[in-house]
Amino acid sequence: MASSLIRRAMNVTCRVSLSTVAPASRLVVVRPYAGEAEAQKVEPKAAASTNMKTFQIYRWNPDNPAKPQLQDYKIDLKECGPMVLDALIKIKNEIDPSLTFRRSCREGICGSCAMNINGCNGLACLTKIESGSSETTITPLPHMFVIKDLVVDMTNFYNQYKSIEPWLKRKNPPPTAGKEIPQSKKDRAKLDGMYECILCACCSTSCPSYWWNPESYLGPAALLHANRWISDSRDEYTKERLDAVNDEYKLYRCHTILNCARACPKGLNPGKQIQHIKQLQLTG
Amino acid sequence: MGASKGQKLSGMQKQVLSLYRGFLRAARSKPAEDRRQIESIVSAEFRQNSKQVDRKNFLYIEYLLRRGKKQLDQLKSPDTIGLSSVNVSSSKKQNADT
Repeated sequence: MASSLIRRAMNVTCRVSLSTVAPASRLVVVRPYAGEAEAQKVEPKAAASTNMKTFQIYRWNPDNPAKPQLQDYKIDLKECGPMVLDALIKIKNEIDPSLTFRRSCREGICGSCAMNINGCNGLACLTKIESGSSETTITPLPHMFVIKDLVVDMTNFYNQYKSIEPWLKRKNPPPTAGKEIPQSKKDRAKLDGMYECILCACCSTSCPSYWWNPESYLGPAALLHANRWISDSRDEYTKERLDAVNDEYKLYRCHTILNCARACPKGLNPGKQIQHIKQLQLTG
Repeated sequence: MGASKGQKLSGMQKQVLSLYRGFLRAARSKPAEDRRQIESIVSAEFRQNSKQVDRKNFLYIEYLLRRGKKQLDQLKSPDTIGLSSVNVSSSKKQNADT
């Protein structure tokens, strides 16, 4: 028994090849390694460090109508994706399932998750969570009627887009019947910077002029699309489109504040397109 | 429950009343049986809200007005034949890990 104990003790520290052959002819290899006893011990978990961040989110429930409030949620950024939308989904999954917000593509192409993050309009799926321990404030798009929490009523915005008739209108049939209407590359390049608009409403809801006249002023998004159809070489109703917009309220409420260009999550410049329409009004 | 019909009505009260009138007018254009059903649902909803909702809760009243206008626009279309409502009761007991 004593010999086995000694053997086990020897096993912990080092292994000696116990050979009965004469030592002169045999090389003794000593390799220190942890034996079976060591393997039974469980590794302590890596020190749990957390990176907590507080999100203040606008809450208002139409079923229990009280004053709207900013509610605090703490999230561990180490277990969350980098974007604000990841944080919102994590809050909804783990902390508060009643948090309501729109989202769809999570890649900045659908425009559903437009909201006001730390004072700036943007898409939640494209806005990175600010590093550091400062609080992030998330509110719905400014000066829009709230349906619930972060969901706003977009019908006025969509109706304004519909009112500029965003489709191709022609008086004559296409030059080769049954085939597409040809357009040169230069004419197609004129549409760059306008066709990429995803109608997220970040620009219109950042424009103070749109805040004060939401029903009469069309807003940067609708005017950007109006310019897209005015500049399309295949469209033949250019003069009628210009006359439809040539109104003191529809177009000329724009005072080139240019908040729209700053807010656009796709990097477009609606202010520049509105300038283009105003120039055409002067010359046309 | 606010001023009686005789006294001066506030702008918001006038809006609520004109919405109610709009619903009743829309109901008139439907067949008789649907008309009675629409009128009963609409008047019950307006009466319940007038008792429960605080007069000063402008935010909620405006929300209800906007919702009512949208519902009225849908009702006005000739395809719609009536209203119905579903009561979803939120039960706290959910089946967790099963």
